[in-house]
Amino acid sequence: MTDGIKRRDFLKVLGVTGAGATLTGCSEPERLLPYVVAPEEITPGVATWYTTVCDGCSAQCGMWVRTREGRAVKVEGNPNHPVSRGGLCSKGHATLQHLYNPDRFHGPMIREGDRLRQGTWDEAEQQLAAQIGAIGNVMFIGGRVGPSMSNLIDQFVTAIDGTRVQYDAVSDAPLLEAARIAYGEPGLPSYDVGNARLLLSFGNDFIETGSSPVAHNKGLAQMSSVDAAGSKGRFVYLGPRLSTTGLNADEWIPIRPGSEAAVALGMASVIAGDAGAAGPYADVLRSYSPATAAQAAGVSEDAIRELAERFGSDSPTLAMGPSAGGHHRNATAANVAVMILNDVAGNVGRTVHYDANVTAAASAYADMESAVSAMAAGQVGVAMVHGTNPAYSMPAASGFAEAFAQASFKVSFASAMDETAALADLILPDRHFLEAWGDSMPRQGVMALQQPVMQAVPHFDSKQAGDVLLAASAHLGNDLGSATFYEFMRAGHMEMHDASMGDFEVGWRQALREGAVEHEVAATATTQLQAPDVALSFDTPALDQGGDLTLLVHPSPRFGGGEFSNSPWLQELPDPVSKITWHSWLEMNGNTAEQRGIREGDIVTVTSPHGSVDVPVWIYPGIREDAVALAMGGGHTDMGRWANESGVNALGLLPSESEQPSGAMVTLATTVSVTPTGERRRIATIEGSKGDQHDRPIAPAVALADLGHAEEDEEGHGELQELQGVGGFVPVPGDGGAATAFPLEGAQHGPYAESHEIPRWAMAIDLDKCTGCSACVTACQAENNVPWVGEDQIVMGRDMNWVRIERYYEQIDATQAGDLDVRMLPMICQHCGNAPCEPVCPVFATYHTPEGVNAQIYNRCVGTRYCANNCPYKVRVFNWYRYTDENVPDPMNWQWNPDVTVRTNGIMEKCSFCMQRIREVENRAALEDGRGIRDGEIVPACEQSCPAEAIVFGNIRDENSRVSQVVSSERTYRVLDEILNTQPAVHYLKKVTFHEVATGGHE
Amino acid sequence: MRKHWLIGGLAGVFALAGLAFVQGGGSQGGEGAEGPVESGQPIAFPHNQHAGSEPGQNNMDCQFCHFSAERSVDAGIPSVATCWGCHIAIPGTNNPQEVAKIQGYMERDEPIPWVRIYKISDHAHFPHMRHINAGLECQQCHGEVQEMEVLEKADEWWTPAKELFFGQDPVWGGDNMGWCVECHREPDENGEQQASTDCAVCHY
Amino acid sequence: MSNATKDPIARGALTHPDVTRLDDVNRDVLKILSAPGKGWWALFGLATAGVGLFLTSWGWQIYRGIGASGLNEPVGWGVYITTFVFWVGIAHSGTLISAILFLFRAPWRQSIYRAAEAMTVFAVMTAGLFPLIHVGRIWHAYWLIPYPNSRFLWPNFKSPLVWDVFAITTYFTVSATFFYLGAIPDIAAARDRATGLRKKLYQLISLGWRGSDQQWHHFGKAYIFLAALATPLVLSVHSVVSWDFAVSIVPGWHTTIFAPYFVAGAIYSGVAMVITLVVPLRKIFGLEAYLTTKHFDAMAKLCLLTSMIVFYAYLSEFFMAWYSGEEIERTAFWNRLFGTYWWATWIMLTCNGFLPVMLWFKRVRYSIPALFVISIFVNIGMWFERYVIVVTSLSHEYEPFAWGIYRPSVTEMGIMVGSFAWFGFWFLLFTRLLPPIAIQELKEVLPPPMRKQKEAH
Repeated sequence: MTDGIKRRDFLKVLGVTGAGATLTGCSEPERLLPYVVAPEEITPGVATWYTTVCDGCSAQCGMWVRTREGRAVKVEGNPNHPVSRGGLCSKGHATLQHLYNPDRFHGPMIREGDRLRQGTWDEAEQQLAAQIGAIGNVMFIGGRVGPSMSNLIDQFVTAIDGTRVQYDAVSDAPLLEAARIAYGEPGLPSYDVGNARLLLSFGNDFIETGSSPVAHNKGLAQMSSVDAAGSKGRFVYLGPRLSTTGLNADEWIPIRPGSEAAVALGMASVIAGDAGAAGPYADVLRSYSPATAAQAAGVSEDAIRELAERFGSDSPTLAMGPSAGGHHRNATAANVAVMILNDVAGNVGRTVHYDANVTAAASAYADMESAVSAMAAGQVGVAMVHGTNPAYSMPAASGFAEAFAQASFKVSFASAMDETAALADLILPDRHFLEAWGDSMPRQGVMALQQPVMQAVPHFDSKQAGDVLLAASAHLGNDLGSATFYEFMRAGHMEMHDASMGDFEVGWRQALREGAVEHEVAATATTQLQAPDVALSFDTPALDQGGDLTLLVHPSPRFGGGEFSNSPWLQELPDPVSKITWHSWLEMNGNTAEQRGIREGDIVTVTSPHGSVDVPVWIYPGIREDAVALAMGGGHTDMGRWANESGVNALGLLPSESEQPSGAMVTLATTVSVTPTGERRRIATIEGSKGDQHDRPIAPAVALADLGHAEEDEEGHGELQELQGVGGFVPVPGDGGAATAFPLEGAQHGPYAESHEIPRWAMAIDLDKCTGCSACVTACQAENNVPWVGEDQIVMGRDMNWVRIERYYEQIDATQAGDLDVRMLPMICQHCGNAPCEPVCPVFATYHTPEGVNAQIYNRCVGTRYCANNCPYKVRVFNWYRYTDENVPDPMNWQWNPDVTVRTNGIMEKCSFCMQRIREVENRAALEDGRGIRDGEIVPACEQSCPAEAIVFGNIRDENSRVSQVVSSERTYRVLDEILNTQPAVHYLKKVTFHEVATGGHE
Repeated sequence: MRKHWLIGGLAGVFALAGLAFVQGGGSQGGEGAEGPVESGQPIAFPHNQHAGSEPGQNNMDCQFCHFSAERSVDAGIPSVATCWGCHIAIPGTNNPQEVAKIQGYMERDEPIPWVRIYKISDHAHFPHMRHINAGLECQQCHGEVQEMEVLEKADEWWTPAKELFFGQDPVWGGDNMGWCVECHREPDENGEQQASTDCAVCHY
Repeated sequence: MSNATKDPIARGALTHPDVTRLDDVNRDVLKILSAPGKGWWALFGLATAGVGLFLTSWGWQIYRGIGASGLNEPVGWGVYITTFVFWVGIAHSGTLISAILFLFRAPWRQSIYRAAEAMTVFAVMTAGLFPLIHVGRIWHAYWLIPYPNSRFLWPNFKSPLVWDVFAITTYFTVSATFFYLGAIPDIAAARDRATGLRKKLYQLISLGWRGSDQQWHHFGKAYIFLAALATPLVLSVHSVVSWDFAVSIVPGWHTTIFAPYFVAGAIYSGVAMVITLVVPLRKIFGLEAYLTTKHFDAMAKLCLLTSMIVFYAYLSEFFMAWYSGEEIERTAFWNRLFGTYWWATWIMLTCNGFLPVMLWFKRVRYSIPALFVISIFVNIGMWFERYVIVVTSLSHEYEPFAWGIYRPSVTEMGIMVGSFAWFGFWFLLFTRLLPPIAIQELKEVLPPPMRKQKEAH
């Protein structure tokens, strides 16, 4: 084992059977463990791909899973999926870490006194059946599941006449209810973000949460990119705080929290004119006007009127009502108001579809409240919890824990310990979705299958909840028709199947192969506004009085409602907004902090009438001066080694209250007081300059108006400066394209002599599309065996991510409506044609390949770190410790990519353009009688996972390749190139703004 | 003068040592040896008996068992079922008791824990298929496996000395980058270097 | 006559009542080599403990990983490189005093050059360790040395780090040889007095020196030859070290002034260190007769000169940063003065720029306590100069988002402090085993006895 550098141990063994038995260490002989019977489709050393459905959140995106020797090593977005259409978010990637989570239960756990003992499945199932039989009064509390599982649960519950309660920590209940009230539709609406010309978000964080973040992210990028006609859609964000979604807006109207309804109706009144258009809501509209809206929202009347006029004219437009972060006491009314706005603007059936029956999480918190009181009243005998963690995600005020304790027998299906499982008497660890069967109907007409892509991880004796329920029913003498969940599911689909869909088996196999099948749905009549059947208050809601600052509690883009908190990838992923890792932080406007004498990093006590937490302050210009924000997902007490004691639980500050009429949990409920504790801490951030790019040409932008006729004064474009040979310092004009920039004249000998005949790899990143969602960061970490380093190391400034999304504020004003300009820039190794890192390495550990890639040879690296010092982009990261050994417990190392060397301490590393994927394709091409590599055949992990399709990789020598096409844009520039003449292979396309660009590399 | 004499002497000693070693290695096993030779493997698998072309040997193609060598980076180790597929019918002539072991593994549904002989460092990537497709013989790196009863790595402690004095390359030099590079550097029919020596071709 | 009027000390002559005869010199100097006193043992004990700290800290870092330091991205170099450059700098004045001043026949060098040379050798020994200490995988550091190997790989001769390897090893070889050669006659002198094991040792290393005029003849030739050989190194070695920074593109490093700037700085810090070392030496071993205020005055003047060169270099750096109009360069230097590390910069400016102004005053130059204090401040200032160059430049580079702050760790400081102990350890041994003052050269400048009567009245 030279250098302690080793690829995955399991590469040494062929086949899943032997995985546990691999020997490391140099003394003992290494064993080769073959399959006993070799599976047909598996060739050792060759990846096998399966399609399935991501079960990470309720969006149900399509997924491709890459397996090697029977282990899932990487998940990717499935471009064939009709809803998500390729791309995957960070959370989706991180589901892989839940699969190999070392904190998963090793078998069913049975409580004995105050401790849990591991038992056998027979034992557990019999006990479950016995208790149900003996006690009865079963209550099944569950999160969103696929249709088949849902059927099974219903059948199971009815057979033992128990009750079923649906509960999702993050839910779209108000939207669902609003759709019912306004249009009588049973499902969530679907949005066509991509085709909107003017997009309004009333505090709706649609690329982070909601029915389909990935699809909406894609839509946002499509909408805001400049089309052939030279125009682009405008995105306006109305809300007290800029989320990741908000940072992408072209305009920010920082309206008062809870004033969405007033603003929406005020705008609608302008569009509707005499208000005849608003149907049953005409009278409502009469009492609203831009004036009233402005008064409620605390912004200028003109801003609202002008916006309303544009919203009426620029059709198709689209407005979205408050999402989980903005569920105040009138959230349903606010959503109805937004629906009215869409309706009068004529968007219904064009950009918003109410007949789609989108099946995202939309359960009512109110049901859970009654469940809690039922349990508290001792009316529940057996309480079963599946796929949700109420003991964490319900505010402490709800008294869930106490009530749950009242149930005489408590069952949890959690596959790893969580706060609820900790209270249970019996734990029946569920399979991870990559090990299990399931199905999904993200919306009407789309059926997707979730299939096991590998044997269950042998460390953990888990069993699919569906099978457990069937077994339990059998024990209880209720026959649900099938022995296994798989049969149950197939039977169900056969029932639903009708001749019009063609042969069942064909459809089934297609679904397995493609990941999803879509059948056309009969178009329903265009929906009409209906008169409300319940009382709606469109006023700004009352807030509990806890202080002078409104508290905004929102789902974390990384942890959602907290269910993702035990993934080190997500813990280490810099938050897209704050760039902070691991711990929680309180967002506060700079002026507010100044008035209170609070500095960034001060630990403050946030006190609401319902509780208080101590949390460090982070200064954020993107939040109103009268508000502070705290993300969900922190402060777990009983979840796992990475989640516990990391951050604080924001829900502790909230009342346990449900909004009427939807019954959603109120997240925007109270004001708080903020008092310094006198303590400070160093924030675990990766950001160095507080979002200021100091007028350097890092992330420049160009005004839409300047496009097309401002080429010559676009710096970084026009004639490309090149070095004249090696060491010659006379800049000479190149012929425009980067293709000729490498290798430098005079360096063209040896292996570089014919390098004009081989590909030159290059990348283009469109900053106008990039939304900063950070999916690429996690994708890269998963693909390239990049370890996580832990909070203390981040504080020391030792983050290891190969991709760094830089976030620069150019124009941001929380006091009034105005243009917003925040630049997102994914910074990776630029693979400079004239790289500063290369000449300074004393041992050629970094050098240039003939294909123009700046390679890093890990096993040659001595660790002088000179290359990192001399890298102007600071993209090189160093293994200060044995992170890959010390931080990665078995079986998490099963996830490691066998094609990438695992680095040990003292070694420099950085983006390799996914060299292993280049080689893989080269090998494949060579086997197929030496054909050339096709354009788009090599897809780096970041490009694959980018929902916005902002990244393009390819051979820039081929003028027909996608990358060459993209790079030929007039927006193309290369970071710092005109200052340093580094001649990067990574090209960026400037962001396009509506306003005149003031700063950002125009010096 | 004395120096030369010394070197000559050393060379002689090494040569003899080497020769003795080869003889020793060769003399083991062979046809009709009584009982299996101590191999350190869970099953005394005689490569010569399977792949050898001598009378009484079966002259099998390497890739019959090492099935993925021409289409994957890994050559592949045969599954127990593959062995059993033939040996269910063939009890084995020399050492039936060894063959019987296969059945044991098959019934216990266990993989055979073969001891690994050939391995290059984990930070170097060796795609078998590229080399097979370039027309290399397995023997060029792994030695005359079809003649070995007990598979031994074709380099020994004395190969450096052998190389030094007789200028021969070791058959197997997989622990030594220079050995790979030398072959990559060799000119092809057009007189150009036959394979890339770019570091990132193997190290990434 | 005219000779008599000239100040004899200006010609380096010794005029001390106790020192009139040649063997007075042997007596005074060689008594240092006799049994050590408590003070020496105390210092030596301290040094040994320090070496212990040095080795444990280093051992821990190798065991645990280079992360035991406080380094990070973007600050990949910190205290280690700072201390490396510091010691290389210290190493310079030795050869300067012994070689260059020898060639220029500077009369005041005889009394101090032996100590200065010893300092040089030990300083290089210390400095040479730091490149090893700071690499991530010390067990592969030998890859920087060009040798034919089975991988068919060579080091990258474009990299200044490879030049360093040559510079340091060359300098160590030459200065060590020069030091040893110059000591041979004195070792012989010591041999003649020593007894027992010591005698055997001296016999061995004095290479049978008899002091025959043929031997003196050869000695003189070899010495001047080596002096000539060493002289260019004084300039080249630290220039190479400065190129470690100058060839990079880091704002604050990438400047052509570095080579002369570093050499001047090296001599500056070196001379200061000589003063720091020689003052206690003089006190403890009662060498007032041989190390007179005249000598210190001369060293102080050298300090003053080099301090002015160094300070000019500071000013021109700041001026150029402003004059270039290069925004990034300007930010870097603004950050030096007023950024996170302002305190380091101001320590540097005070100790190296403002404090030495006092040396303009003769009274200060002739007050040994004052010189001692100043020299110590200069040493501190010169360490911080390198700290400022290395750390502040790296912490604020081109990419604002990647700016970062570096805090040295305990391990790092342990190694840094330990390196001083390591140096002191050898120097203390030296004072005990070799005559710390060049006996034979002092004899050359003794006034001939017959002059004595003349001067009596």
